[in-house]
Amino acid sequence: MVDDVFDEVGLKVENLHASYGSVEVLRGLDFEVPAKGVSVILGANGAGKTTTLRAICNMCDTTGSVVLGDEDISRTGTAEIVRKGMAHVPQGRGTFPELSTLDNLMVGAYTRKDNEVKDDVDRWFEIFPRLAERHAQMAGSLSGGEQQMLAVARALMCRPRLLLLDEPSLGLAPLIIEDLFERFITLNKETGLTMLIVEQNANLALDMADYGYVIESGEIALHGSADQLKNDPAVQEAYLGA
Amino acid sequence: MSGSLVVVAKNSAEHKRWKYVQWAYLAGFLLLTPLVLEPFEIGKMNRALIMGVAILAVNLVVGFNGMLALGHSAFMGIGAFVTASMVQDENWDYWQVLPVVLIVGFLMGVIIGLPALRVKGLYLALVTIAQAAVFPTLVNIDELGIAARTGGPNGKGVSEEVIAPSYLEWLPGVDGARGGSAYRFWIIVLMVGITMLLITNYLRSRPGRAVLAIRDNEAGAAVYGVNLPIAKTMNFAISAALGSLAGLMWCLDKGFVAGQDFTFLLAIDLIIGLVLGGVGTLQGGLVGGLFVVWVNDLTKRISVPLGLYTLNGDGPLAKAIFGLILILFTFFAPGGIVSLWRLISTKLIHVVPLTPSGTPIEPLEGFDPGMESNRADTAMKMSIAGPVLLGVGWLLMNVNSLIVGVLAFGLRMTILLAPVAMLVGTNELKAHAEGNRPDSVKGPATMARNLGALGFLFVIGYALQRFILTY
Amino acid sequence: MTWNFDILPDFIFNGLSLGAIYGTVALALVLIFKATTLINFATGELAMLGAFLVYVLHMEQGIWLWLSMLIAMGLSAGLGVLIERTLTRPFDPADHLPVVLITLGLFLIINAVAGDIWNYQVRILSNPFGKFPSWVPSVGGDRFIMVFGSRLKYQSLGIWVTLAVALFVLGLILNRTKAGLAFRAVSSNVDSARLVGVHTGRTLGFGWAIASAFGTLGAVLVAPQLGGVNPNMMATILIYALAGAALGGLDSLGGAVLGGIMVGLIQAVAVTWGGVVVFGQLYMSILQLAAAFLVILIVLLFRPSGMFGTRRVERV
Repeated sequence: MVDDVFDEVGLKVENLHASYGSVEVLRGLDFEVPAKGVSVILGANGAGKTTTLRAICNMCDTTGSVVLGDEDISRTGTAEIVRKGMAHVPQGRGTFPELSTLDNLMVGAYTRKDNEVKDDVDRWFEIFPRLAERHAQMAGSLSGGEQQMLAVARALMCRPRLLLLDEPSLGLAPLIIEDLFERFITLNKETGLTMLIVEQNANLALDMADYGYVIESGEIALHGSADQLKNDPAVQEAYLGA
Repeated sequence: MSGSLVVVAKNSAEHKRWKYVQWAYLAGFLLLTPLVLEPFEIGKMNRALIMGVAILAVNLVVGFNGMLALGHSAFMGIGAFVTASMVQDENWDYWQVLPVVLIVGFLMGVIIGLPALRVKGLYLALVTIAQAAVFPTLVNIDELGIAARTGGPNGKGVSEEVIAPSYLEWLPGVDGARGGSAYRFWIIVLMVGITMLLITNYLRSRPGRAVLAIRDNEAGAAVYGVNLPIAKTMNFAISAALGSLAGLMWCLDKGFVAGQDFTFLLAIDLIIGLVLGGVGTLQGGLVGGLFVVWVNDLTKRISVPLGLYTLNGDGPLAKAIFGLILILFTFFAPGGIVSLWRLISTKLIHVVPLTPSGTPIEPLEGFDPGMESNRADTAMKMSIAGPVLLGVGWLLMNVNSLIVGVLAFGLRMTILLAPVAMLVGTNELKAHAEGNRPDSVKGPATMARNLGALGFLFVIGYALQRFILTY
Repeated sequence: MTWNFDILPDFIFNGLSLGAIYGTVALALVLIFKATTLINFATGELAMLGAFLVYVLHMEQGIWLWLSMLIAMGLSAGLGVLIERTLTRPFDPADHLPVVLITLGLFLIINAVAGDIWNYQVRILSNPFGKFPSWVPSVGGDRFIMVFGSRLKYQSLGIWVTLAVALFVLGLILNRTKAGLAFRAVSSNVDSARLVGVHTGRTLGFGWAIASAFGTLGAVLVAPQLGGVNPNMMATILIYALAGAALGGLDSLGGAVLGGIMVGLIQAVAVTWGGVVVFGQLYMSILQLAAAFLVILIVLLFRPSGMFGTRRVERV
C-alpha cells in the first residue's frame, strides 16, 4: 500500500491485526511513520486508533509485523520495546498518581544507565516550569494540563527515537491544547524526534503534522500528506466539520 | 471426532428420552445409595450432601455474585449450635428449629455482610476469614451462658435420636440396623432437593438476576438501578441462612456438635469443594461435596513407601494433597468437574435451543455430517468399550490396591454411557433409511444400537436386581 | 471495680511489642496488596516456614542466630519470587479468585509439609533478645529495665529496635533504589509502568521477596512469645495482622505498621487489662481474637479505606 514514500522510515507497520478476545479491532493495517517527522492518525470513536498504538507496543493480542528502524518488534515485550527507543503517552495520561512529580520523571528514566538523568530532569523542568514548581507534589493532585505535560516529559525521559501520543488534547481547555501542541512542534523541530499522534481534533493535528492516516473500522481508509488530507472533501466533511 | 455424536432439538422426543435416562440415573443413585452402602458409608454420603448445601451457599456469594466469602464454617457452626441447643435443652423438634436457624443465619449474614459489602474489593474476604478464625473461640466463652449452651470445649451432644416413624419405614434402606443413617439420608435428600429448587428459582427471580448482573459488571448493574450494597448483602444473608441450614443438617446427621468441627479448615474445605465442583454452577456444590468427602476418605488410605520415607496420607499430608488439588484445578480446570463433564457431554450430545416460535434456532440438518459421517463407527466403539471396560473393572476389583480399586470403579462406570451408543446407532440407521448415509454405515450402526441397548438393559437390570435383593 | 493503673504499663509494653510484630506481618500483607490488590493468605505460613528455617540453621546446625535469620530471610525471599513467577503470574491480576485460591492452596501445602517434617509440637527457638548482652550496664535485671515502676523487657526493646531498623532499610530500598522506584510505579499504575520499560513481573517478584522476608522476620520475633515455633504458630497472628492492615489502610505501608501496633494495644490494653479491671480475672483474653474481628468490622463500617489508605475511585 505505502511503499517507501519516505527517505527514512521510523516505523513500518504491515498487515497489523489486533483483537480483544474474539472481537477483531484492527483488520490488517499498513502504514509508515517517516523518521524525524510528525504523523497523525485520525478516526472516529471506536475506529481503532488507541488500539493501533497499543498494538504497536504489543499491549494486546496482535499479528502482523511492526518494524522500528530496521528491527522487527512485533514479538517483543512491551518493556523491551521501550528499551529499543519507543515512548508511549497513553490515553488519559497514565501518570503514577501516588508518586511525586520528580519520581514520575525518574521512573521515566528507568531504562537508562547513563548519568545524565539529572540534566534531563532539569531540562524538562526548564521547558515545563509548572512541573518544576510542583516537583514534590503527588502527580495525582496535578491539574489535567500539568499531568499531560508530566506524561509527555516522563515519556521523553527515556530519550526515545519515536514518541507515540494518544489523544493528548483529551479533556484539556483549548488554550492549553494550543500551548501543548506548540511545544510538540518545537520539540520536533529542535530534536528531530519522530512522532505518531492519535487525535480527534483533526484541525489541530493536521496543522502540525507532515503526514496523516485516516482509520475507519480498523482499516486505513485514506492517507496522504497533511495538506492533501486537509483539502480532501471526504476528510473535510467527516473530520474538519467543513 | 468433530462435532457432537447426537444433535437434538430442545424438547424434542429424543431430547426428552435423553433427559429420562439422566433422571433414571439420578433416581438409581438415590435409591441404591441407602441400600447398597454400609451404614458408615451412608453417613459419608450424608456428610457429602450437607457439605454440598454449604458449598452451594458459598457458591451463591463467590460463584454467582463474584465476592469472596471464606467464613461459611462459622455460619454452619451457628446453625449447628442453635439446633443442638434448641433440640437438647428446649426439647424442640428439628422442623421447629428450622425457621429459627434460617432467621438467625440470615441476620448474622446481614451483620457481617453489610459493613464489608458497602465497599468494592476483597473486604468480604478479610471479614469472613477473621470470622472463620474467631468462631471456634467464641463457643468457649463462659459468660452469658454461651458455654453452657454450646457445651464449651467438650461439644454438645443431642440425645434424641432421629428414627423413622412407623409410617415411613417403607423407604428404601430404612429398616433395622441401618435404619438410622438411611432415614437421615432421605431427610437430607429431601432438604437438598427443596433447597436446589428454591435456589434455582431465586437466581431466576429479579433479585437473583441483579446478583448475577453485579458479578458480570458492577458499575453496569448500578447504572441500571441495582442498589449494590443491598443486593449484595441480601444475597450474602441468604447464603448465610443456607450455610446455617447446612449446620442444622450437620447436627441432625451427627447428633453431636463441637467448636473444633467448625474451624477455618472447614471453611477451606468448602472453598476446595466449590472449585472442584465448579464455581458458578448449581450442580457444582453437590459434586464438590461428594468429592471433598470421598477424596478426603481416599487420601487417608494412601500409603506409598519411598525408600526410608513413607508417604502417608493419614497425617498432615492429607491437607497438602487437598492444597495441591486446589492449585491444579485452578490452573488446569478452573470450571471444575461440572465444566469438564459439560465438555464431555457436548461431545456426546448437542441440544439446539428453540426460537420463541418453537423451531430450532439452527436447522438440525446443519449439524449432519452426511455421507462422510463416522458417527456410527464411534458409537460402535463406544458400545463395545462399555462392556469390555466393565469386565476389566470387574477383574481389577479383586486387586487389593487403593489406586487400582478407584480405577476399577471408574472403568465399571463407563457402561453408563451405553444409552448414548444406542441413541446414535438408531439415529444413523434412520439417516441411512433416508438415503443420507452410505450402506457401509448399516453394520456398525446396527451393532451400536443393539449392543448399546443390551448395555443399557444390563444397567437397569443390575440396578433392579440390587434394589430388589436388598429392599 | 478497681482501676489498677500500677500494672497498666506492663500491658502497654506488651501490647506495643506484640503490635510491632503484627505490624511486621501486616507489612508483608500490604506490600503484596499494594502491588497486586491481592491478599496473600499464605503470608503467615511462608513466615512460619522462615521461622523453621531459622530453627534448622540455628538450633540444629548451630549457626549464629542473626546470621541464620538473614539466611532464612534470603531463602524465603527466594521462595516468594519462585511462587510469584510460577503460581501467580499466569493469572489475570484483575480476577481475584484464582490467585486467592492459589494462596489458600499454598497455605494448606506449606502447613501440612511443615507438620509432616517437624510435627505439631512446639519447638523452642532461642530468643534473640533473651538476656541483655554483658556490655549493657545493669539497670534492674538481666532481662528487663524498670520504667514507670514496671518491667520493660529487653525483648520488647529488641523488637522495637529491630522493627525500626527493618523499616529504615525498607524505606531506603523503596525510595532510594531503582527497584524500589519501579515497585512504587507498578503499585501505582501497572500499564504505565510497562510503558516506561519496567518489567512488571520481575518487579512483583521483588515485592513478594521483600514481603516474604518481612514475614519471616515477624515470625522469628513472635516465636519466643509463643514458647517456640510450630506449624500453626501464625494462624492467629495472621488474623491480627489482617486487622492491623485493615485499620491502617490496605494500601498504606506506614498504616500497616501503625495499624498493627494499634491492634496489639487494643488486644493488650483494652481487652486484657480492661478485663482484669472489670472482672478481676484474665479470662477476657479469650476475646482477643474477637476484638481483632470487631476492629475489622468497625473499620469497614466507618472508614473502609483505613486510617491512612487512599480512597480508590472505580472507573466504569
